[in-house]
Amino acid sequence: MRKDLIDRIMSVAGLVVRVCVYVMLALPAVIVIVSSFAADNVLSFPPTGFSLRWYKSAFANEEFMASLWTSTYIGILASCLSLGIGFAAAFAIDRYEFPGRAAFQALALSPLIVPGIVLGIGLLYLFAWTGLNQTLAGILFAHVVLAIPYVVRTVLASLSLFDRRLEEAAMNLRAPPWVVLRRVTFPMLLPGILSAAVFAFVVSFGNVTVTAFLTYDDTVTLPVRLFSYVQQSSGPFVAAISSIMIAVTLIVILVIEKLIGAERLA
Amino acid sequence: MKSSKDVVVSLKGVSKRYGDVTAVETLSLDVRRGELLCLLGPSGCGKTTTLRMVAGFVEPSDGAVVIDGQDMTREPPYRRDTGMVFQNYALFPHMTTAQNIAFGLENLKWAKADRDKRVLEMLTLVEMAHLSDRLPAQLSGGQQQRVALARALAMRPAVLLLDEPFSNLDAQLRVRMREEIRDVIRRVEITTIFVTHDQEEALMLSDRIGVMNKGKLEQVGTPADIYERPASRFVAQFVGWCSLLDGTVDTNGNFVSTRGLAFKSSLPPGAATAVIRPEHVKARDPDLADARPTYTAKVITSDYYGGISRLLLRVCGEQLMMEGHFPQDRRPRVGDEVAIALETAQIPTVPAAPP
Repeated sequence: MRKDLIDRIMSVAGLVVRVCVYVMLALPAVIVIVSSFAADNVLSFPPTGFSLRWYKSAFANEEFMASLWTSTYIGILASCLSLGIGFAAAFAIDRYEFPGRAAFQALALSPLIVPGIVLGIGLLYLFAWTGLNQTLAGILFAHVVLAIPYVVRTVLASLSLFDRRLEEAAMNLRAPPWVVLRRVTFPMLLPGILSAAVFAFVVSFGNVTVTAFLTYDDTVTLPVRLFSYVQQSSGPFVAAISSIMIAVTLIVILVIEKLIGAERLA
Repeated sequence: MKSSKDVVVSLKGVSKRYGDVTAVETLSLDVRRGELLCLLGPSGCGKTTTLRMVAGFVEPSDGAVVIDGQDMTREPPYRRDTGMVFQNYALFPHMTTAQNIAFGLENLKWAKADRDKRVLEMLTLVEMAHLSDRLPAQLSGGQQQRVALARALAMRPAVLLLDEPFSNLDAQLRVRMREEIRDVIRRVEITTIFVTHDQEEALMLSDRIGVMNKGKLEQVGTPADIYERPASRFVAQFVGWCSLLDGTVDTNGNFVSTRGLAFKSSLPPGAATAVIRPEHVKARDPDLADARPTYTAKVITSDYYGGISRLLLRVCGEQLMMEGHFPQDRRPRVGDEVAIALETAQIPTVPAAPP
């Protein structure tokens, strides 16, 4: 009888915890999106009235739209670069024994533990010294550094679950190494690569701290521009821009899934 | 150079060492065309390493691997004419049954029409034609194995390699699949090497068995050779049940055990061990005369297995096992005395273990 009661208390407690977690995760985004449809000038929740004027205002704002485009293409470029480099690193770590392998893995994951501001200042000095200051290449470099740990971690996890005997089977079936990679290894690692791509994009698209040190006149990413805008005013305009950011991120994730996912079924 | 068309795979003095550990030691073996040869042994005896050296996944430390008359020792797996079925089948999860089977043919650059025809042929051979569009995850264990077999056979390899193919199946399925696979192999008439630790499987399926222990090939022969004329203590104990009696062979060819059991042996004089199997111990009617050596045995344990009962007997201080059919009510009980005779003409002897 007592066990029954405890079980019921536990399952109710579990339900409460789950609901709290979901709400905590979703609430900020929900509040922002809902507030963006306010009719008046004040950021309040729940908003008074319903209007699309702030979205009209956002899309009409040249500076913000330029920043949106900048963030998007930097995000895509940085994802591709960090996917390439990160995948190669993870593959080497998983498949080969070489001296300093553990140190190499730690190095690849190290940007995770360095505070953004420290990284930003460090890169600023490094770029001043190497002439990469105020260049697109500099920002790309920084975003790749930020994204590589996520790619390496995700791809390593995928590789560790991969059954090497499938590659042996493929070789036994007369497939030379490049055919094995193309037709067996890559297709099976695709879910991991997909996750890594999504992580890389999100990290790049949303980064503020490091990018803040590296932006310059024509190349200001959206989060950085938004951050400085928010210092002065925080009306529903900010909510609208934020909602647009959330939407773009979702669209890119969907596109990645269609691109890589669809190939998997072919 | 005499090229023997009769031998498909020849292992010549092949060894494999991993640092200080010797996995396979100077193994020489010829696999004849069309035969089903089994490498039998306990875990860690080197049988799987040997198979993988034939396939090309392991490079020998010494010796040569010759396939169809050509030295393939340094060739990678994708240039060898072998087809392998892995223990866990290793079917490509993202491809259908038909695509899995076609994979090897695509790599061999077969034309599409020929490929499709061959795939259908193989699917029909293993009775999986109706499941050609399924993914491996949608197939049962037995079905997956059939696909794996079809995939390996599709390329018409010189030799088929099976790595413990039945160990992942439950007992009943195992027996059924053994017979099915044997039928397929016989129908296709392909030379086959398979690896197992199950001696029943080896005895039932093989044309010849190679018994391995600690990296060495202890005996190669037909199932009857292995069971009835074991070459060593290990082979005698690994295949089938036996009691081992230590003793000596005198200059007249008589074996005498340390406790007095005696019979003829073909071994040279010296220390030897007699291998007494359950079928060598027969119950007898004590009132009738008997040409065979007779004894009175005491029952130590008595177990009922339905069709047979197994008795552990004490005879002249030695322990022997006897099998017989006793209905439950007439089965001898512990402590009973049983009159037995030994079929000594059939009892093999093996050299004694080195000190």
